[in-house]
Parts: sequence; structure tokens; C-alpha cells
Amino acid sequence: MFWRLLWKLLRGSAGRLVVAILALVSCAMVVSALLNLEFDIERKLTQEFRTLGANLLISPRNAQITGSSPAEVMSESEVSAAIQSLRDPNVVAAAPFLYLVGSAQNTPVVIAGTNLEELPKLEPAWRIEGEWQPSQAQQNACLVGRNVAEQLKLAVGSSLKLTYLKKNVQLKADGIIDAGGAEDNQVFLELAEVQDLAGLPGQISFAQLSVSGTTAAISHYAERLASTLPAYEVKPIRQITEAEGDLLGRIRLLIVSMIVLISVLTALCVLGTMAALAMERRQDVGLMKALGGSIGHIVTLFMAEVGVLGAAGGLIGAILGLELSRWMGQRVFGQAISARWEIFPCTIILMVAIALAGALPLRLLGKVKPAIIFRGP
Amino acid sequence: MLVQLEDLRKEFGKVRALAGVSFKVEAGEWIAIMGPSGSGKTTLINILGGLDTPTAGQAIVDGVDVARLDESGLTRFRAQKIGFIFQQFHLVPYLTAVENVMLAQYFHSTTDEKEAQLALERVGLGDRIEHLPGALSGGEQQRVAVARALINHPKLILADEPTGNLDEANEETVIQLFRELHIEGHTILMVTHDPAIGNLADRRIEFAHGRLVKITPPHDASRNAYR
Amino acid sequence: MFGRLVKESLVRNPRRKLLTAAALVVGMAVATSTLSIALEVGDRLAREFRSLGANLLVTPQSDTLPVEIGGVDYRPVNEGAYLSEADLGKLKTIFWRHNVLGFTPFLDVPISIQQSENTAPARTMLIGTWNAKEVPVPDGTTFKTGVSVTHPWWKIRGRWFRDGAKECVIGAALAQTMTGIVLGKVIYVRNETAGDSAQDRSTRAKGTPLEVVGIVSTDDAEDKAVLAPLEIAQDISAHPGKFRQLFVSALTKPADAFSERDPLKMTPTEYDRWFCSPYISSIAFQIKTVLPGTEVRAIRRVADTEGNILSRVGTLLWIVTLTALIAAALAVAATSATTVLERRGEVGVMKALGATNTLVAGIFLAEQLLLAMAGASLGFVLGALLARSLGSSIFGTPASPRLILFPMVLGLAAIVAFTGSLIPLRRAAHFNPAPILRGE
Repeated sequence: MFWRLLWKLLRGSAGRLVVAILALVSCAMVVSALLNLEFDIERKLTQEFRTLGANLLISPRNAQITGSSPAEVMSESEVSAAIQSLRDPNVVAAAPFLYLVGSAQNTPVVIAGTNLEELPKLEPAWRIEGEWQPSQAQQNACLVGRNVAEQLKLAVGSSLKLTYLKKNVQLKADGIIDAGGAEDNQVFLELAEVQDLAGLPGQISFAQLSVSGTTAAISHYAERLASTLPAYEVKPIRQITEAEGDLLGRIRLLIVSMIVLISVLTALCVLGTMAALAMERRQDVGLMKALGGSIGHIVTLFMAEVGVLGAAGGLIGAILGLELSRWMGQRVFGQAISARWEIFPCTIILMVAIALAGALPLRLLGKVKPAIIFRGP
Repeated sequence: MLVQLEDLRKEFGKVRALAGVSFKVEAGEWIAIMGPSGSGKTTLINILGGLDTPTAGQAIVDGVDVARLDESGLTRFRAQKIGFIFQQFHLVPYLTAVENVMLAQYFHSTTDEKEAQLALERVGLGDRIEHLPGALSGGEQQRVAVARALINHPKLILADEPTGNLDEANEETVIQLFRELHIEGHTILMVTHDPAIGNLADRRIEFAHGRLVKITPPHDASRNAYR
Repeated sequence: MFGRLVKESLVRNPRRKLLTAAALVVGMAVATSTLSIALEVGDRLAREFRSLGANLLVTPQSDTLPVEIGGVDYRPVNEGAYLSEADLGKLKTIFWRHNVLGFTPFLDVPISIQQSENTAPARTMLIGTWNAKEVPVPDGTTFKTGVSVTHPWWKIRGRWFRDGAKECVIGAALAQTMTGIVLGKVIYVRNETAGDSAQDRSTRAKGTPLEVVGIVSTDDAEDKAVLAPLEIAQDISAHPGKFRQLFVSALTKPADAFSERDPLKMTPTEYDRWFCSPYISSIAFQIKTVLPGTEVRAIRRVADTEGNILSRVGTLLWIVTLTALIAAALAVAATSATTVLERRGEVGVMKALGATNTLVAGIFLAEQLLLAMAGASLGFVLGALLARSLGSSIFGTPASPRLILFPMVLGLAAIVAFTGSLIPLRRAAHFNPAPILRGE
């Protein structure tokens, strides 16, 4: 009879229940969408921050001021081996650098040897003009900073001769870099070429990495890397990591606060709706008491009704909410946010809890004498 | 003696609904409780039915002093000993006729649909078992209420203006039902405005200002009018 | 009479009204706080992003190629073009002058330093710049700016040099390699590539004494150099009143397809719109106009990151706000509907007394609207307080309340309460009063 009663209870006042369900569903939808978003937001944001470029530097200890030739160098193979060994998925890019001051067309120019394929991954903010694809790095390819291109009257495809001490190398400018910094005044070639020019096989000036994650995660990685390279210094680049850490913290706090705020407030709205629903049941409660129904019996029945509503609202809301968060992810980050199945039980339990909390006045009704109900307004 | 009231008092703040009522009811009697509105009739019925507690005095129903019962005691009392019939029927609108009767069974002990169906047949609604109250006339609804009141074999039937909301035809059907119950030996306490109905009862108890003012046996002539 | 009826209706059974009112207050608090935050956050975050430092770089237009590694220019001082320091006050006269938060010029000179006559000289660079310079602006005011604005991640142990004083700070890496360098010590600096004039020779002979007042840590090439007031560098390099490059930190609006277009190809309306928006391209354009002979470029890694994240967070917040508004509206509508449904009895009575459907609806709606106004006002105050405290805890300074939101929130509440009540009222219009009056 209990289940029959429950079922009839739910079916019978369908009209008014629709309204309560509506409130429950909308609250559940918002909460589940925001929760799903919250889980992913950190990862998405830290990825965005990688547009800042390299945030970790591996350099020789106590390097002197560089003049025209690199005073201090490190072993390229040692560094790349260390990075490989850690195999951290958060390392977005890693590139070695070897700097010389050479000349082109009788003008002194800074030459940087690096891994041309890694360079755009390391510094995604740089605009590279020309249909240059990193994968098709051929021999004698180079990228020139826009100031260099202007000074030396170079265009994409122009040939360029670089000289260092007595050695020459003939190159083709495959792309022009617009970085808004020192790189605009530099020429980038494959590392091997520069090592050859300088007569420093296997040596580099320093290495830069772009590592994704929170400030703590990046420091932790730096520590691990440092322990494999005791001869060298491994440091986060402060300009980037400090600001990023602070900004990330604030943005997360902002989003979390919005989520909590909205969830709490919508929950309060739902509370009101459920309380109104509970009030409606007063007549039925009075009658059942008159018929000899015990308080426990009656309250259980109505709490069960409320619980079912909460669960149903939570389920529907969670489904809608996950769709909503998927759409939100698409609009904001251009990529979908993955749906986490944990959201379902979380939302359903939360909505049941809110519904029951809102129906709490029913418990008070348990104390009311049935005669008063019948006296009526 | 089924019901014994001893100096029963009920006050609502300053208002004295019952100011010391004493009388006795034998098993099988049909008592009509009459009087102007506000005289305390409904309050009396509510106390006897365990829906309300008196301020002072005794109200012993089938050996149990209702005034002394606690909340759960009253609940058991209502389920086991009382059958209530209201002026406004008070059927649950989303339960069918048989389910409304089963509701009373549910709060008493266990449900028995067969028995509930039989109860409805008894009141002449055998073909309305699956109807919702909305699909029944006033008289039919009240008859369902009667079936509901009877299903747990109560010691005492309390009726508060049972025909107050019915038209003449339906009123007759319901009163006929009560007459049958009376013949079967049920104890009925009925609040009514209608002197004709009052004359059907074994005794008429009249109230005014919370006091019992007159107890009369019925007038023979009116009783015959309803044969 | 209508007013009386409404008043009567409002005053009766306050407990039920409480529920609707509560839902309205809470719902409108959600609306107000989320809207406030969404409106504010763009500006606040943009300001926070300035902790990344400068986002614009100004260099001479016709210049030789800087020999720059890590931001330090190793060119001899007699080579290349210079810009005039006196022009810099004009930066605070452009249309977007209030968005220019700071700017710092740099002049790099190759030097050798000696701690005393007898110690061996060490070769390094002197970076002339501003710390907290009071720049005279053409309108008569002064504007204080320097590396603390454009390079906020530079940390100083001790203190920065004073404007124009014979003081300097030493880069942390350099300080480590030079034994005996402590705060208060005086070092002698000499231009390494000076010419052969009499003045040059005499300066070279003596060297300029500078008191070391601080040790700066930048995590970049400056750590291996000496930083001193711009005047010192200008003096030593014999280029008075000049500098080589300027870093500018400006508050910008995220770039979009529109902002990247060539202003010369825009129609007058489009040009106006572009000019009057603080896009980085627009601000760069305005700086170039007041500083003739310059190249002004966005520092891509800072400008792009800032633009990306600001626009994404902005979109996210607006979507979240919209969702919250819908949820709040639904909840309020639900509560409105419930309370109207509850009062079918009153509707029945009124109809039985001969009230027309319109009148009944009118009374209820008027009542719901009044409740909506009251609830929304309280909700607005609550929401504004919430947004304020949120702003405080996230950004450090509380947001000022946006009064424009008040009529918006009132309007929203009115519409929502209205539509929420409408559906049950329409059904109520078809109620047969009789069964209700009989008490069924």
C-alpha cells in the first residue's frame, strides 16, 4: 500500500508537482553544469597560460655576462636526456638555445641556434609570417626577426649569408617572426648549424621549457629536473610563473565563488518551492491523522514523495547540466569539456538533500493536531 | 456502557467551548447531538474521536479515558475504535473509492482489497470501486466515507453533519444507510441541525453555550415519517 | 476600490506571501550579484594582468639592428638611433591616457666597474632607467612611473636608486661574482666604448662613483648588470636626454578580428569605434602619433595571453550569469505559480461574489507585482553586498555598486513574477466556484 500511495500521491497532484520539479531541475542543471566546469577549468586555464611562452630555464651556474661568444655552455645531450627521462606530460615544449653574435651584410646580428620544430610550441604567441611549417624544416632553413628582415631587406624566401669569425653559412629565410621583443632582432637556425659555426659541438647556452600547470606543480617539476642535473641551474622564470600563479589563483577563486554563490542561492529558491509544496499537503496530513495514521507513517510517506521528486529533478537536471557544460566549454574554450560521471550521483544526492531540507516543515506538521486542520480558515 | 463523559471541559484560551459536560451512551445507541453553531457540538465530537484533548474532565470510550492518552495512544485509539464521517467527506482526491477505504485499513493494520471492495458493495457502490471522488456525486462520496469509517469495525461511529452537503435525494440514501447501521447494532453519535434526523435517533442531546441543556427521547410521529 | 482590494489581498495570510517574497529576494540576489560580477570582472582582471608587466614596446623607427640578448642591448653607444626623454610626458595626453598605467625608458651602456683604484676592472653593462620618476605632463601635472609598474616581478633587496642620484643597484648574479660588494659600497663605472674626446678621456680616467643601494633580482640578463638612474647612463654615454627603448604597460580590451584591421582602410565610423576602444592596436597607434619617429609594437606573449584569457573568462562569466538568471527566474516563477494555485479558494469566493475574471486576475497580478518589487529591492541590496564582498576577497578592493542594475533587476522580477502567475491564473479563471465554496 505504501508504494501505491506514493505513486498516487505523485500522480495525483501532477500539476503542482510540475512546478516543483521545474524548480528542482533548473537548480540541478545549473549546479551540475558548474560543477562539471569547475573540475576542468584549471586544466583549461593553465593551457591558455602557455601562450606566455617559456616558463622554465635550465642554465649553467653563475654564467658571466655574454659578450660576442658564449662564455658558459652546457652539454646538450645531458639536458635533453634529463628532460626525456622525466617524461612529464605537462611539458608542452622544450628547446635548447645557443647564442652567437655574428654578422650579415656587414651588420652585427644575434644568431640563435635552436630546435626550429619546437620553437612555435615553446612560444605560441609569436606570429610567424610565411607558410612555414615546422615539420618540413629543411636544411639551411632559418627564421628571421622582423627588425632583421627590415634592416637587411629580407622577405620570405630571401637568401641570407651569415658569418661568424671566419666561417660562413648560406640560409633561406623561411619565415619572419613578430614577437614584440628581443627576438625581433635575432635570426634562428637549427642548433647543429650554429654549433658548427661556433665550433662548439654538442654545446648549448641554455634550454627553455614551457610547462603547464599550477605554480606548485611547475616548481615541483623544476625540483625533480634539477635533481637529475646537479651541475646546472633549473629555475622557473619568475616574470611568467609568478604572474601566472597569481592570476590563476584569482580566476579560480572567482569561478569557484560564482559557483558556490549561484548554487547556494538557487538551492534556497528550491527550498522555498518545496516548503510551499509541503504546506499543500496539510489537508492530507490532517485526514490521515484523523484516520489513525501515526506521525511516523505519514511523515515517511511525504518525505518519500519529496525524496523521489528530488531524485527525479536531480537526474533530469544532471543530464541537462552536462549538456549545458559541454556547450559552455565549446563556446568558451573552443573545445568540449568532458562529462564526468561523478556529477550524476553528486547532483542527485544534493537535490534530494535540498528537497528534504525544504520539506522539513512537514515534520513540524506531524505535531499539529488534526482537529485544527479541519477547523479550516 | 460504551461512552461516559464526566464533567468534560474544553477551553480555547478565553473561549469556553465545553463547560462541564456529563452523560453516558450505551452500546448500540444512536445519539443525535443538536444545538446552535458555536454551542460545542463539534468540539465534543472531536474529543470523543481523539482529534482533540479536553482541558479537564473524563471522556471514557470503551474503557479508555481519551483525556489521558498521549499522541501515539490517540493515534491507536482513532485507528482501532473510531469511525469518523465528516460533513465535507474528506476523501483523498487522487485515490479511487476502494483505495480511500484501504487507506483506513493501512493505518489500522494491513490492507485487504477484497474486504474493501465488499465494504463498498455493502454501501451500494459495488460498481464504483475504481472511481475517483471527482467522478462521484456527493451522496456517493459520503457513502464511500461511511464504508471507510466502518472498515476497521470501530466501536463508535462519529458523524458530523453527514448530510449537510447533500441534496434531498442523496440525503435520503445516506440516512437510510445510517438506519441500517443502527439496526445492525452500531453505536452512532451524530451531530445534526435537522430535527427530522434528530428524531430518528434513540436520544436527542441538546447543547447551548458549551453545556448540555436537554436530553430527549425522539418524537414518535417524526420517526414514522421516515419508514 | 481596486487599490483597497489589492491591499486586503496583500495583507491577508502573510505566511504564504513570505514564501514568494523569500524566493524573490533570493532569486534577485542571485541575479544582482552575478550581473555585478560579470560587469566588473573584465576591468578588474585586466588590471590584475598588468602584473605580467609591459605589453607595448616603443623603439626608434630608423634604427640599426639592436644586438640584443635577453633584453639587454650590447650595441656601442655611438651606433643606432635614440629617442628623446622630454617627449615622454605626452604619453599622458593621448585619448587613452588613463589606460596608460606606466612606462619606462631604457638606455644600455657597456661599462667596466672597479671597486677601488687597485682592484681589477670587471666588464658588464650599465642599464639606465627610471624607478619612481615624476614625469612632467604637458597639462601641468606630473605622473609617477618606473620599473615597478612595467617590471613588477623585479625584486629589490635594500632599496632602489633615487631619481638623478649617484646611486645604483647591482644585479644579483653580478653581485655574487664580485667579492666585497655590499650595500653602501661605492663602485666606479667607466664607459668602455667611449670616443677619444677630452671629456671622454677624463671620464674614463676617473670613473663615475655610484653608491650601491640595492641588489636586484630579475631572473634575466639584468641580473648580470648594473642598474642606475637614466641620467647616469645618459651622462656616461654622452647622450643627454636620450634613451633607446621604452616599455609601456597599458590597460587594454581583448583584441578581436575588428581590432586587427588596418586603420587606414576603415570607414570613418569604424575608425571612430576602433579609436575609442582601448584595443592594444589603437593605443599603440595613439602612442606612435604623439612620439614621432617611433615603432610601437605589442609584446605578443603578454598581450596575446591577456587577450585570450580575458575574453575567455569574460565569455564564461556571461554564460554562467545567464544560466543563473534563467535558474533564478524559473525558481521565482515556480514559487509564484505555487502560491497562486494555493489560493484557489479565494479566487472561488471572489468569482462567486461576481468578480470578473479580469478583475480577479488584476488583483492577483497587482499583488504579485508589488511583492516582486519589494522582494527585488531587498534582493538587490543583498546581491550588491554579496558581489562587493566577493570583489573584496578576490581582487582586494571592493567593487562599487552599479546602480544601473537596480531598475534591471526590478524589471526582471516583475516580468518573472508576472509570467509565473499568469498560467495558474488563467486556469483559475475557469474554476467553478461552487465546489470550492462547498469546501472540496
